[in-house]
Amino acid sequence: MAQIEIRDLGIDYRKPKSNEVFSAVDSVDLSIEKGEFVTIVGSSGCGKSTLLMAMAGLVNLSRGSIRIDGKEVTGPGRDRAVVFQEASLLPWRSVRGNVKFGLEMQRWSGGDLNERAMQMIRLVGLGRFSDYHPHQLSGGMRQRVNIARALAVDPDVLLMDEPFGALDAQTREIMGTELLRIWERHKKTALFVTHDIDEAIFLADKIVVMGRNPGHIKEVINVDLPRPRDEAVLDSEPFHDLRKRLRAHLAEDMSSMQLVKEVA
Amino acid sequence: MIAELFYRRQALILGTLSMIGLLVFWQIAVDGGLINPFFISTPSEVWTEFLAQFEDGQVGANVGATLYCFVWSMGLATVVGIVLGMLAGWFSDVEAALEPFIWFKYSAPTVAFYPLFVAWLGYGTPTIIAIAFLFALTPIYANTLSGIKNTDRDLARAARSFGAKPLDVFLQVALPGSVPVMMAGLRLGVGRALTGVVVAELFGANAGLGYAITYYGQLMQTTKMMVSIVIVILLGVILTQILSFLESKTDSWRVDSGR
Ligand SMILES: Nc1ncnc2c1ncn2[C@@H]1O[C@H](COP(=O)(O)OP(=O)(O)OP(=O)(O)O)[C@@H](O)[C@H]1O
Ligand SMILES: [Mg+2]
Repeated sequence: MAQIEIRDLGIDYRKPKSNEVFSAVDSVDLSIEKGEFVTIVGSSGCGKSTLLMAMAGLVNLSRGSIRIDGKEVTGPGRDRAVVFQEASLLPWRSVRGNVKFGLEMQRWSGGDLNERAMQMIRLVGLGRFSDYHPHQLSGGMRQRVNIARALAVDPDVLLMDEPFGALDAQTREIMGTELLRIWERHKKTALFVTHDIDEAIFLADKIVVMGRNPGHIKEVINVDLPRPRDEAVLDSEPFHDLRKRLRAHLAEDMSSMQLVKEVA
Repeated sequence: MIAELFYRRQALILGTLSMIGLLVFWQIAVDGGLINPFFISTPSEVWTEFLAQFEDGQVGANVGATLYCFVWSMGLATVVGIVLGMLAGWFSDVEAALEPFIWFKYSAPTVAFYPLFVAWLGYGTPTIIAIAFLFALTPIYANTLSGIKNTDRDLARAARSFGAKPLDVFLQVALPGSVPVMMAGLRLGVGRALTGVVVAELFGANAGLGYAITYYGQLMQTTKMMVSIVIVILLGVILTQILSFLESKTDSWRVDSGR
């Protein structure tokens, strides 16, 4: 059995100021193996975050089930850690304080908190900035702290919701390469939501393409590019093929999407 | 940095200059016969009178009495306002239950309760403390409430993702995030507590700055009265400045404060 088993998952939201419910995610089946790097792509509003937050145990399921290592997900747990789109760091805590935060909340018992936090801060290359506060950091640095905070609790599954979404293309590429470097060392199962097609291919063992209305899985694409990967892979033949395939998928989704509806 | 320092200096210099300008104008206007000194005295006379009242212990006694009531009322308002504000900010049921009292307090002038307090507590210190307490309570309560209630949802969710319990979210996210707005509430509260004390002393007391103001006012001794008025103003400025300073200390992590 795979590490993560999602069966017939459905999540409904109540529309604001009415009793109507609408389905953000429906009939999702997905299996993820231990140690896999899975990226999730799809147009805006197709339910990527909702799916990820469901795995994190932060939204209630309306139908179906999510099992991780055979255990049903009913809420947040030590086996998972989330990297949010907005860095969501505590502004009154230093970098070190923020990385310690997750450990404190989990009542971490695996040794000295400071040492553990510093180890993670060095891992993401912020050793010299451990006493800085979030407002003194750049967006990219904040996301590194965000990642360090998640890695510190040593989760089996790392859930990342567009962690580099707010960064410029260049920083994004650097962060992606570094994320792979870290991931290759620890081999945690990783789920990574992104809008960026190149990023989705570059990082993934497996790409989950989602469609909208309601959010569902259109296709799961295996990526067989050799690892470790570096920027050179971006120019390879198989990469181009994958990119073309994903583009087609997303273009289809965009044309089926009524702009009028979006505006209203 | 340097430009900012200069700007802050400049603000201080300009403020001081305009104050000095006012004092000079006041003195000249009276000396030149533009204004009758009976209504407003002069800075030099007030200063002389201040030294005299300081010598004979009046200043010390009045400031002492006023500060005594101030400290008690402000202390009580801080404890009650923060505790109620935290409860109401965290539990919406508590907020709903307290809502009518807050509306009542906003729309009815607090001084209107004065006779009621006199009936319960008699003339003097307890009534003064009660009135000033009510004066100071509202901003402290309201700011604490809004600080806790407007806890950053993203931060709370991030905390929960690491397994934070509701109490953890309250202590680690809601409370520290509210400190700056709570401090702003305290700063407003300090000004209002002092106002409350002085106003209540105007009505009935046997010591204190407000008492001295009415006492000399009724005797038409403007200069003696002005001494206490000036002291009240200075006290208000000093106390508020102390709180502003503490406030700026607690929100240094705010991106927009930049100070
Ligand atoms: N708390 C909520 N209450 C009601 N509706 C919600 C809520 N959260 C999300 N939705 C709706 O669910 C749908 C899916 O949202 P979701 O955030 O999962 O999309 P997404 O794929 O992550 O989009 P994006 O790429 O823009 O981040 C959207 O239509 C959104 O309006
Ligand atoms: Mg999203």
